[in-house]
Amino acid sequence: MSRRSYSKHIPDFRFVTFFAESGASIVHRMSPWTKAALLPLLVALVTVVTDLYWLLAIFALSIGFYAAGRLPVKVLIGWYTFPVIFVITLAVLFMFTVPGEALFQVRLLGTTISLTDKGLLLVATLLVRALTVVTYSLALFMTTRYNQIAHLAFRTMPKTMANLFLLSYRFMFETFDEVSDVLDAMHSRNGNLVKGVSRQGRLFAGIIGLAFVHAFERGERIGKAMEARGWTGSFPITDRVGMPGPGGYALLIIAAAMLALASYSRYFGTLLKGWW
Amino acid sequence: MAHIHLEDGALGIQWLVLWNLAAAATIAVAIYLFGRAKPSTRKLAIAAMCIAVGFAVFQIEIPVFGGLHVNLTPFMGIIVGPVLGTMCVFVINVFSAAVGHGGWGMIGMNTIVNAVEGVIGYYLYRVLRVRLARSRFSSAFGATSVALAISAVLVVLMVAVSGIQGSNLSGEQTLANLTILAIADAVTGVAEGILTGYIVSFIGRIRPDLLGETEKGMKDTVSRHAEASSGV
Repeated sequence: MSRRSYSKHIPDFRFVTFFAESGASIVHRMSPWTKAALLPLLVALVTVVTDLYWLLAIFALSIGFYAAGRLPVKVLIGWYTFPVIFVITLAVLFMFTVPGEALFQVRLLGTTISLTDKGLLLVATLLVRALTVVTYSLALFMTTRYNQIAHLAFRTMPKTMANLFLLSYRFMFETFDEVSDVLDAMHSRNGNLVKGVSRQGRLFAGIIGLAFVHAFERGERIGKAMEARGWTGSFPITDRVGMPGPGGYALLIIAAAMLALASYSRYFGTLLKGWW
Repeated sequence: MAHIHLEDGALGIQWLVLWNLAAAATIAVAIYLFGRAKPSTRKLAIAAMCIAVGFAVFQIEIPVFGGLHVNLTPFMGIIVGPVLGTMCVFVINVFSAAVGHGGWGMIGMNTIVNAVEGVIGYYLYRVLRVRLARSRFSSAFGATSVALAISAVLVVLMVAVSGIQGSNLSGEQTLANLTILAIADAVTGVAEGILTGYIVSFIGRIRPDLLGETEKGMKDTVSRHAEASSGV
């Protein structure tokens, strides 16, 4: 874990990496290709499926996947805070205007505001969809080693982008610690992030400006040092990542079949409507 | 701030595909332009450091109105340029999606919005600073505020066009609902403009060379203005 993370609501990269590098669960042993390919399938699946019960079932599977990786479930609750806030922020603009049966009404400034069953269902559906993918995404990164991520990045992204991605991933740990240090310095001087707009602005500017200047200086130093050691702009891939095994292929086929079935049912078929 | 905090499943699959394809095309153009300029490997290292700090700062929660955070995309555009800035915001969005700060399917939409912020921020800063010879603070403030106001409108338009899954509201109704969001984004954009103004002034004082590329041609402009005012 970082020397100290900013908040328990944000996943700490060192914490995530610790589990990825040291874990030995069945999910850790899965081919990274399988885990990575399941992510877009899951995103598409939760997008296509509209039934809340089915979405809850998929969410349960996602939690199961996370738990199978022997990852700490307790911290997930804190990490859910931001996705939940984001969904609520948007949904609150819609939940009172979506037509449906009114569950709760209040008169405010001569206008009746009502919370409808469909409005509530919309919030619940959006929440379950969001948390399903967040859980899987965290499980993916907490069970895949850096070298494996590097391999996947080089195989799936253009070279320049992969280099940029991996370099910034490596720098992330340092910069998180550095920004945390500057925030610590601010707190130790009895400062806080909401102490007057003008002071807050200057305070933040100092923190961010200094962090960027340090980052540039460090970037320049690291760039020079890497060039001196023969770096030509790309990283060697040291680890080979095996293709999915029979179990991995089976999992991908099942996920793809579920997606095909859900898509057919929603967009084309009336045949499966009742069952679905 | 003007970041689309939509999580996965909020938009229909067709819109997800469309926005991600549009973002892929934008990134492809940025990579092509970046490669054509034959950048040094050191520039790549600096950009990577910039992403790391950008992402770290992005995660600082300001405990106001339930939690705000700064975006700094116009600032990144000003500091690393529009092409590298576009590539940087894509990587930041990937990292953000990994930790649940916006959905994976929303990376395309977020990248387009953030790239627009970076590009407008850069060019507007150049106009204000180089052509009109404004101070660093006012140039950065103006460029950031305008860029974020435009992106706030863009966000609302993109969401209104795409529609929220399951809301069965028309595009006009969705637009009306999201107007509050656009106003809030524009207001916070002004706050970020002030912040960016301070940051750029700060960097200009201690490492003016970091703004050298963006302010290229500045000296000529200054001397022209000086000549004009002295009547030479």
